Amino acid sequence: MTETAVDILEQFAHGDAAAFEELFREYQGQVYGWIVRIVRDPAAAEDLTVETFWRIHRARSRFDPRCGFGPWARRIATNLAVGHLGARRTETQFSDDAPPARVRPLPPDPAVSADVRQKVAEAFGKLPAKLRAAATLAMIEETPYAEIGAALGISVGAVKSRVFRATRLLRKSLIGAGVEP
Amino acid sequence: MNESDESVQRLVRRAIGSMADTELKRDLWPQMQARLDEPPIRVPWWDWALAAAVVVCLCAFPAAIPAVLYQL
Repeated sequence: MTETAVDILEQFAHGDAAAFEELFREYQGQVYGWIVRIVRDPAAAEDLTVETFWRIHRARSRFDPRCGFGPWARRIATNLAVGHLGARRTETQFSDDAPPARVRPLPPDPAVSADVRQKVAEAFGKLPAKLRAAATLAMIEETPYAEIGAALGISVGAVKSRVFRATRLLRKSLIGAGVEP
Repeated sequence: MNESDESVQRLVRRAIGSMADTELKRDLWPQMQARLDEPPIRVPWWDWALAAAVVVCLCAFPAAIPAVLYQL
């Protein structure tokens, strides 16, 4: 970290508004990019990005500049994103029926029928928020386990456990829906 | 992880596409600025008085605590 960067972090921790704005402008893209991978809804991700920085601003006195701003911001963003998933658990996030205009996931494999895609999406939507966040990042976004663990504040072993449990629940749901994985 | 679990993961990966576009399209600072400028939420004095009255009642009639918790 450069001396200027450390200065900005220290100024932010002491409540300097200009330092906060500088950090916001530097990190808003990273925070948004991480949140949108988890919640898969750009509009919600924008709101959660602002909420993340609002919480960062409120907690600035507890911030330790030596620990780095990025990992701290990502932890807060991840907690908010998981909370958002929990609040919207009953809704199907990956439905093909009416995707929001700005959602642009990569096209799914055309060899997988629309019916199967719908059933997989529904099964995924039923997962508990913590498992779903870990499974989305690991299975769909192919994020390294260590990175997921750091963001969720858990060990790599705990990430593997969540992905394993999510996989088992998905398999059960899919078999129940008549899809043989 | 066994073959069956791996096949579930492969199916999920194929059925649900990864987010292709994770780039922020606009500056969110104006929204952040508006949020920072919001006045702090003020709790009216009568809300505090009501909360205090509830606490006093619960201290005076502890047997009512389960009934209050049930109503929550």
